[in-house]
Amino acid sequence: MSTLKSFLRHPTGMIGLIVLLAVVLLAVTAPWLFPDDPWDMVGAPFQPPFSEGLWLGSDMLGRDVAAGIAHGARISLIIGVISTLTSLVIGVTIGATAGYFGGKVDEVMMRITELFQTIPGFILAILLVATIGPKISNIIFAIGIVSWPPLARLTRAEFMRLRGREFVQAAVCQGQRPLTVVLRRILPNAISPIIVTGSLAVASAILIESALSFMGLGDPNLMSWGFMIGAARTVIRQAWWMSVFPGLAILLTVLAINLVGEGLNDTLNPRISRKR
Amino acid sequence: MIDKTLLAIENVSISLPPGADRPFAIEDVSLTVNRNEIVCLVGESGSGKSMTAHAILRLLPDRTGVAQGSISFNGNDIAKADEPTMRKLRGGAISMIFQEPLSALNPLARVGQQIAESIITHTKPTPSKEAVDARVQELIRDVGLPDPVALARSFPFQLSGGQRQRIMIAMAMANNPALLLADEPTTALDVTTQKQILALVKKLQSERGMGVLLITHDFGVVADVADRVVVMRNGRVVEQGTVDEVLRNPKDDYTKSLIAAVPGARSLTKADRKITGEPLLDAVGLNKTFITKQGMFLPPRRTDAVQNISLGLKARETVAIVGESGSGKSTLGRLIMRLIEPDTGSVHFDGKDLLSQRGERLRQMRRKIQIVFQDPFAALDPRQKVGDAIAGGPIAYGTPSKEAMADAKRLLARVGLQESAANRYPHEFSGGQRQRICIARALALKPSVLVADEAVSALDVSVQAQVLQLLAELREEMNLAMIFITHDLRVAAEIADRIVVMRRGEIVEQGETQKIFQNPTDAYTRALLDAIPGRAMFAGPGARQAEVASA
Repeated sequence: MSTLKSFLRHPTGMIGLIVLLAVVLLAVTAPWLFPDDPWDMVGAPFQPPFSEGLWLGSDMLGRDVAAGIAHGARISLIIGVISTLTSLVIGVTIGATAGYFGGKVDEVMMRITELFQTIPGFILAILLVATIGPKISNIIFAIGIVSWPPLARLTRAEFMRLRGREFVQAAVCQGQRPLTVVLRRILPNAISPIIVTGSLAVASAILIESALSFMGLGDPNLMSWGFMIGAARTVIRQAWWMSVFPGLAILLTVLAINLVGEGLNDTLNPRISRKR
Repeated sequence: MIDKTLLAIENVSISLPPGADRPFAIEDVSLTVNRNEIVCLVGESGSGKSMTAHAILRLLPDRTGVAQGSISFNGNDIAKADEPTMRKLRGGAISMIFQEPLSALNPLARVGQQIAESIITHTKPTPSKEAVDARVQELIRDVGLPDPVALARSFPFQLSGGQRQRIMIAMAMANNPALLLADEPTTALDVTTQKQILALVKKLQSERGMGVLLITHDFGVVADVADRVVVMRNGRVVEQGTVDEVLRNPKDDYTKSLIAAVPGARSLTKADRKITGEPLLDAVGLNKTFITKQGMFLPPRRTDAVQNISLGLKARETVAIVGESGSGKSTLGRLIMRLIEPDTGSVHFDGKDLLSQRGERLRQMRRKIQIVFQDPFAALDPRQKVGDAIAGGPIAYGTPSKEAMADAKRLLARVGLQESAANRYPHEFSGGQRQRICIARALALKPSVLVADEAVSALDVSVQAQVLQLLAELREEMNLAMIFITHDLRVAAEIADRIVVMRRGEIVEQGETQKIFQNPTDAYTRALLDAIPGRAMFAGPGARQAEVASA
């Protein structure tokens, strides 16, 4: 409760949260706001913003830019959240195992992590999506695969710090089973920095998805912000609105998530939050 | 002739920010320190004794400040002096040493530089490099450290705790202060080192005619060094006077209780507890060497933490393992708990080999040996309710959770807490209460051996006395055998049937408590006994027996 209260008092965190909630609201209400398929032609092509019935204009095939942004928000958020959850599952499992057992297990786990860290993440994501096909599930999988190493590193460090703590040793002496010790004693005490890093990972997942769609590797059945920019980049000098509005949407969403992450960091980190 | 009063604090109150547990950290405190005298400020944690010292140099935390009263130093009121004046005083005419010499020194600068810095800061015009170097070496020699040239070039981490504290004192002495504020300067040190540091402070004080305000919680230290004593409680001065008056004839009840709480004065162990039979826990030939890598080109460092140690513990017996930090006593405790695996050796518990047990069989044996850790703040999970922490053990062994929780509540009541404590989180409790919770947690599994690893060392003396009393009662009620690890011979004297003295991983002497105190055979044991603060005033059980015998 006190964490929630101090977050509500965090000014930039609150701004981020409000913007983020607005994006979520847009995503949820998209089917009612824009009942038509965003791929449908609804007007003349190349209409500037504030034309009749098209307040963000239309693209080169006469599709509504506003409808694209609203429906794109759904895709961006879904991919951001689910791929981050995927990377959390992979990263926390590997980091926790390495940190708790140490020794040889740690060596092997960390070499694997380093292997993934040395490959440029985005290139690996492109490679994966190009190989296994541009479907939404594959995109989520690819983003999850490239973004778990930092989470694994962080979890490992937290587990190594907590493993030697006396309350953990006390739980071992009490006869609690290793899995109970890990899940009930260590993980809850390590979770704050993981949540913070995870929230920031949502933002980078959205960026990776946009970049993939920009390169034409997005799911062809789903309207996404990256695809809109990618399709409009050839006509940016004639029709700026086609790429600027989806770009703004990405900027605002990523910024909002980062602000929320910062706010969480300040409130969940006892050293900072106690100073307030 | 100059005025002999050096520092006079009159009716000083320090306000705390709104929302604190009391409006003032210290209230209406008056005390004086004369030239050439040591005044001890005594009190428990939270009594405001450190605040008082920090107020003199105006080193108070944010949002607190001197609300009223005057602090006069050499006749000038410094409570209202401006910041440049204060800066000149700090490390100049008034200097301060702290409890933890490791965190008070800059880890990245050589100690010689750090001493030189305090000279240069306060000397105008800046003296020549040769003059500063010479002064630094003179200071290092003055605080009794060997080879000043080499020592000045070392980094803090290369020095021992005692050496670091000497360096801190050298820094404090750099500008020949008239007043030295020492905030628990020996609390973090071993007894033998404590004795040396106190002797050093006393020697420097009488050579230079300094006034010293020494903050401590230990009446033993007071008896050894103080000329006058000021006792504080809850931010107020409850009693002050000369050391003889206060110690021999305390007027205030609180002072009396503090003096009575000094360990070693009572004995909680009856002379003959009829302990016989085969050892319940039998450790033979234990060895543990820690190897730390030191980087690519250096050979790894080997620390022989425990060397060929054998220890037997009979049912219901209490064995105290006494030694200084680094003697391997905690490692030994953890080896017995199997929190660390020994390199060689064996531990038999109740006839079974403890070290060969794995998995479920090990888990089943674990419940019979429980541990209470030193730091009650680190030993409880901050996110787990107290009741769950205590009931967690029995539940892990299959006790229904309702029954385990009822047991936990009973145990909480037994260790002197309210049953409602079960639904609260650890941060709501004080250090002493937390240690009671830790004891309840260990006893919930009805063990036959309890390892107490410095279990009372982090507590205030009066709380320490209560927790020791509790442990003494519980071991009779539950037929516990105890391994009591401590650095404090006074505490060991109160609770142990047998004392084992360890040094550098080896047992140097062991025997019955009385015997160790009366006839120590090993030179190191004798040094430890001599170093007990206030030995003259608070005789241990051995000394008292000796007096009776000679009378």
